[in-house]
Amino acid sequence: MNRREIKGMEARINKIRKTTEELKGLCGAIPAVERNAARILASVKMLEINISDLLMLK
Amino acid sequence: MKNPGLKKDVYWNPIVETLPLEKLRELQVKKFKRILEWAYERSKFHRRLYQEAGLEPGDIRSYEDVEKVPKVEKAMMRDIQRKDPFPYGDALCVPLEEVTEFRQTSGTTGRPVYQPDTWQDWEWWSEAWAYLLYAQGYRRMDRVFIPFGYNIFVAFWAGHYAAEKVGCEVVPGGVLDTEARILKIQELQATAMMATPTYVLGMADTARKKLGIDPARDLTVRRITCAGEPGASIPSTKKRMEDAWGAKVYDHVGATEIGAWGFECTEQPGGLHVNEALFLTQLEDIETGELIEDPGRKGKIVITALDREAQPCIRFDSKDVAEWSADPCPCGRTFRIIKGGVVGRADDITKIKGVLVAPSAIEEGVRAVNGLSNEFEIVVTKKGDLDDITLKIEILPDAEGNREAILGQLRDQLRLKTNLGYNIEVHPYQSLPRYEVKAKRFKDLRKHG
Repeated sequence: MNRREIKGMEARINKIRKTTEELKGLCGAIPAVERNAARILASVKMLEINISDLLMLK
Repeated sequence: MKNPGLKKDVYWNPIVETLPLEKLRELQVKKFKRILEWAYERSKFHRRLYQEAGLEPGDIRSYEDVEKVPKVEKAMMRDIQRKDPFPYGDALCVPLEEVTEFRQTSGTTGRPVYQPDTWQDWEWWSEAWAYLLYAQGYRRMDRVFIPFGYNIFVAFWAGHYAAEKVGCEVVPGGVLDTEARILKIQELQATAMMATPTYVLGMADTARKKLGIDPARDLTVRRITCAGEPGASIPSTKKRMEDAWGAKVYDHVGATEIGAWGFECTEQPGGLHVNEALFLTQLEDIETGELIEDPGRKGKIVITALDREAQPCIRFDSKDVAEWSADPCPCGRTFRIIKGGVVGRADDITKIKGVLVAPSAIEEGVRAVNGLSNEFEIVVTKKGDLDDITLKIEILPDAEGNREAILGQLRDQLRLKTNLGYNIEVHPYQSLPRYEVKAKRFKDLRKHG
């Protein structure tokens, strides 16, 4: 897998994070949305650890 | 980041697990700086510690600078806890309402230390275990039986969630007694299991004696992950477990305060890979504190969990003793190996008759002899000015005819492994203490006068 492919994955991971954060911001008083979105963000962090962090390398 | 010759379906993350060591190091330093800044900004405890040392996160620019960061010891965590924000004290880096998991250490070395985790940290725990389970061959077709009490100690909790993450089917074996667990493993044809070495051997014993079940012949478990005590990295203990179950037995090392930082892979290379993706693992000379980068010298493990946020683990002095292996692993991972696993704890390795001895070396000697039961006890006392070491053993009933030969072999093995002579006491079979989960076989009575 090359750097371009990893950047492609990173872009999509960023999109998931951004969308989920927006959803959290929109959900108002719906705990079902807010708490499930929080869980999604925890999983997104695992994707970032495994993939996005690689782009810290020169 | 091309990896020519990458083995197929061996790695949880094939990119990270085969990065050249210099790239891993680069990644670790960047992530170390990130978690250091995180803790400095949010944890009064860490900021205080670093300010007292005249250190700011910006001072860390290279791997060599990491050593400047003061170490954290368990006792320091004990001192700051049971205070606000209750009960964790001021090392907590998140609002209390973000903590979703409470665990605590076992308390064998003193008052237990509390460990808070956010849901993200809990995902991280299962991520670390996913690396190790995948390395040990767990796959979606595995049915994993976990004979664990699901209690306040972190133990196999993350193993449960990681097995789910990997896609296995998980059978929680808490509450059931040992016989019921064995019968459930048989009924469901479980293919994998997680337990302490003491319990693995104990289950096999119970299966044969009380249920007439030979685990190797009658059960379908083919891989076992051990944790909680050293046994699975002691070759003779590992062999006893593998022979008893007809399964491969793999070791793993972790701690409540740190995470699951080391694991054996299916190649069983005579040591444990350190997870270089999630942890920065360093060896320091026990006496001088000098960093040990090369094989051949034992040192104390000082470790940082690079992504753990609620209560960061930064330059934690684990007191575990290890040495680097010189050999690469056939699995292809570039994660370094600690040779023979964790060989002891800095506070367990002790001088007896002028010789440094780790209890695990004695276990290796005892377990290498056929005809002895799984239980033994070591008692060290003082007779006048001289150390005296007694080894209590049991000879298996059907090996009694061979007693003198067995004792001879035992003496040879102990001399080979520990360079010491022992008073050997043969006790009636099944008279020595039996342990359910973790054994306490080494008793140093010299400390008590």
